[in-house]
Amino acid sequence: MDSAEALRRLVEVVGSDAVLRHDPLELDGVGLDCTLRPADGPALAVALQALERLGLAAIVRGGASGLGLGNPPRRADLLLSTERLSAIDELDAGEGVCHALAGTPLRELRRAVRAEGWELPMDPPGEAATLGGALAAAAVGPRAQAFGRPRDLVLGLEVALPRGERARCGGRVVKNVTGYDLAKLYVGSCGTLGVIEGAWLRLRPRPESVRLLEARLADAGRACQEGVAAARRPTARAAALSLGADGEVSLAVELAGDAPSVGRDAAELAAGIGAEPCDAGLAPLRALQAEASGLRFRLALLPSRLAAGLARLRTAGARLLAYPGLGLVWALFPLDGADARADADRAWLAVASTARDAGGSFRLESAPLFAKRGRDVFGEASPAWSLIGALKQRFDPKGVLNPGRFAGGV
Amino acid sequence: MSDLTAALEAIVGAGACLSRPEDLFVYQCDGLTLCASQPDAVVLPASAAEVQAVVRACRERGVPFVPRGAGTGLSGGATASQGGVVIECSRMNRILEVSPEDRYAVVEPGVVNAELSRAVAQFGLFYAPDPSSQLACTIGGNVAENAGGPHTLKYGTTTNHVLALQLVLPDGELVELGSPTGFAEGYDLVGAVVGSEGTLGVVTRATLRLSPRPEGVETLLAIFADVVSACRAVGEIIRSGLVPAALEIVDQRTIAAVEDSVYAAGLPRDAGAILIVELDGPRVGLAPQVERVRAFAAGEGATRVEVARDDAERERFWKARKGAFGAMGRLAPDLYVHDAVVPRARLPEVLAAVCAIGDRYGLRLSNVFHAGDGNLHPNISFDRRDPDELERVLAAGGEILRTCVAAGGVITGEHGIGTEKRDYMDLVFGPSDLAAMRDLRDAFDPDGVCNPGKVLPTPRFCAEANPRARGYDRVPLV
Repeated sequence: MDSAEALRRLVEVVGSDAVLRHDPLELDGVGLDCTLRPADGPALAVALQALERLGLAAIVRGGASGLGLGNPPRRADLLLSTERLSAIDELDAGEGVCHALAGTPLRELRRAVRAEGWELPMDPPGEAATLGGALAAAAVGPRAQAFGRPRDLVLGLEVALPRGERARCGGRVVKNVTGYDLAKLYVGSCGTLGVIEGAWLRLRPRPESVRLLEARLADAGRACQEGVAAARRPTARAAALSLGADGEVSLAVELAGDAPSVGRDAAELAAGIGAEPCDAGLAPLRALQAEASGLRFRLALLPSRLAAGLARLRTAGARLLAYPGLGLVWALFPLDGADARADADRAWLAVASTARDAGGSFRLESAPLFAKRGRDVFGEASPAWSLIGALKQRFDPKGVLNPGRFAGGV
Repeated sequence: MSDLTAALEAIVGAGACLSRPEDLFVYQCDGLTLCASQPDAVVLPASAAEVQAVVRACRERGVPFVPRGAGTGLSGGATASQGGVVIECSRMNRILEVSPEDRYAVVEPGVVNAELSRAVAQFGLFYAPDPSSQLACTIGGNVAENAGGPHTLKYGTTTNHVLALQLVLPDGELVELGSPTGFAEGYDLVGAVVGSEGTLGVVTRATLRLSPRPEGVETLLAIFADVVSACRAVGEIIRSGLVPAALEIVDQRTIAAVEDSVYAAGLPRDAGAILIVELDGPRVGLAPQVERVRAFAAGEGATRVEVARDDAERERFWKARKGAFGAMGRLAPDLYVHDAVVPRARLPEVLAAVCAIGDRYGLRLSNVFHAGDGNLHPNISFDRRDPDELERVLAAGGEILRTCVAAGGVITGEHGIGTEKRDYMDLVFGPSDLAAMRDLRDAFDPDGVCNPGKVLPTPRFCAEANPRARGYDRVPLV
């Protein structure tokens, strides 16, 4: 059966209102002009089963803010969007937990949670980010140092599997070891094992006081040291170091908590590194995390290796953003030289050797297709990745979901 | 000597391989004495390479193997329920590396939980998960069970503190999962292994996150006329947005047992319940929080609220909580420590229902629990030599679990499923949920040789599936 015939049969199964034709969306050289939009969880499961039976492959998307992450797909027939699975089912203010469907935009969820006196502990980049997309990509922002990684705040998940079943794991309670912790596996699996349908999340109390401070520092090495120290202050919720091409270094620290503690930390940061209140908010400081020009890498380094790593990446020509409390670095390499391929090769080598020497890891988050070819955007393969293949084989043996896009070409 | 024992002795040495019945007897159960089954042999390997060789020797002979830590688990997870070899990790007990700068430690699985915190105290750091058995339990067992403890309310459970693992897979291969950075690429295999109850392989090394010691700690003890009021105070504290390090409740029956024991903490015997609240963080912020907690407790009718003036007093408050299990040992030969979780707002009604169940079955049931997490531990004191009482204990246990699930809860918060609750899994999960869990397990252990018979329910009951497993009523009293 050719792809067109398979798509026609798919429409018969899922109904024409669940399939949207549109201008092609370009993804790593593949033009996708069809989006499957199931109306609810059962429809999502039916759709997945149909895809498996018809031998079709789907690229799963939420708000598309992280859609560029991944190796070029081995095959892609259509997009599968969770946009119609958008609802906040439960917001339990007494308990500090909520349940929402995958397609719910994070900004909506954030607003609803705030209105109940709580805080959504997720701050990934991307205005359009959805809950499901952010969890599938395990996307983090600077506040993850206080919020925890996405895997740390998911209490339970419902997931639709390619065999057409809907499976739950975890639950709504804040402590739970009932059965295998499959949520850990789905979060960060970039939609390659199943499609997240909804999630129970642990919320955080809204802090009494929040302050953003900024300091200009002359020396990048010292900035790293100060950045790590500032990030480890008891009330530090986020810390971001920005190293421009011009040599300018700035450190932003967000403090949050009870007013006396925040006040004390702010006073000490002012006295120690001349940190001053900053009104602009964190967004402009972290813009590089979502920039789509050139090559954008993310590195994970140990705090003690951060200064050396940043120095090396800077010498290699990168603009840099680092979250010292998390050991995460975003390195943006322009591709504006005469030979873009050679630029990409050099950038890759610089990043790979920096990560390797620091005992860390890296991924190429955003790049034109030519720079992804012949590489694994998830960095250097580990022997443990054989387990990734074994899991994929159990959960998605026919390769319905994002085939080829994950680590190890899974 | 059997071929298996000879092979195991060749790997670990004769002194580290046990096969005499009197030695094996010790390993027939863990902290849950109700589930017992004797292994064919026990090995105490000294290295990952020895673990690999043991696993391969078992596989070649089609013999299952069971990883085991200190055996303090409470769900029958570390027992050889289908026979086979127990791999006891207590000899692998070195702290291999401590990085105060990057705040992690690399340890072997046999390191005792409390020893790690002691070893890193000089750097102003500690290892946060603190199960009640922390003086005995080991990191390997903590990883297997995703162990919790009184301070998980603020600090999370084991899974939030494991950065990387070295694991011997069920086929004998050695893999490194995760990264000390906490951001390894690929699936979160560390997350899948933590809490998998030793069914996905044998952990031979763990890289753990260390946390900074809080600047200040304040501990409050509030006395209530009844346990429901104490639960309400907990609800108020949670709702207010305070995040105490611990919120623990001890009920009247436990207080009486504690006061009769060597753990006596000078508590009023007529108190209906006590609530322990621990707050930590920057010192400047603690005083207002103490006052808020005091107000919430008073608002729910606390008859007295004390704030510990020094460490000695803090220890006295905690004595009532931590000595509870020891004190209960005086009441009857056996203690069944239950474990279930409900949404915190449902605690008052669920607790009342749990006590009613105990009364209805004529059992000595008391409660000491992690109220801040909604994690109940109904404890039943009994004598297993009395078959009628044993039957009532098991029936009441099942009812308690059903009650918790009906309130939106789950059947275990920190003790695990093991063999104890395997056949209750379908109270919480349906066939497709369990099938997905089975997929995970099969990806790691396609032949089902690694701690078989745990976690996932089987179509048949234990005794039918395995004639060697001993029924509850056939366990001799030690």
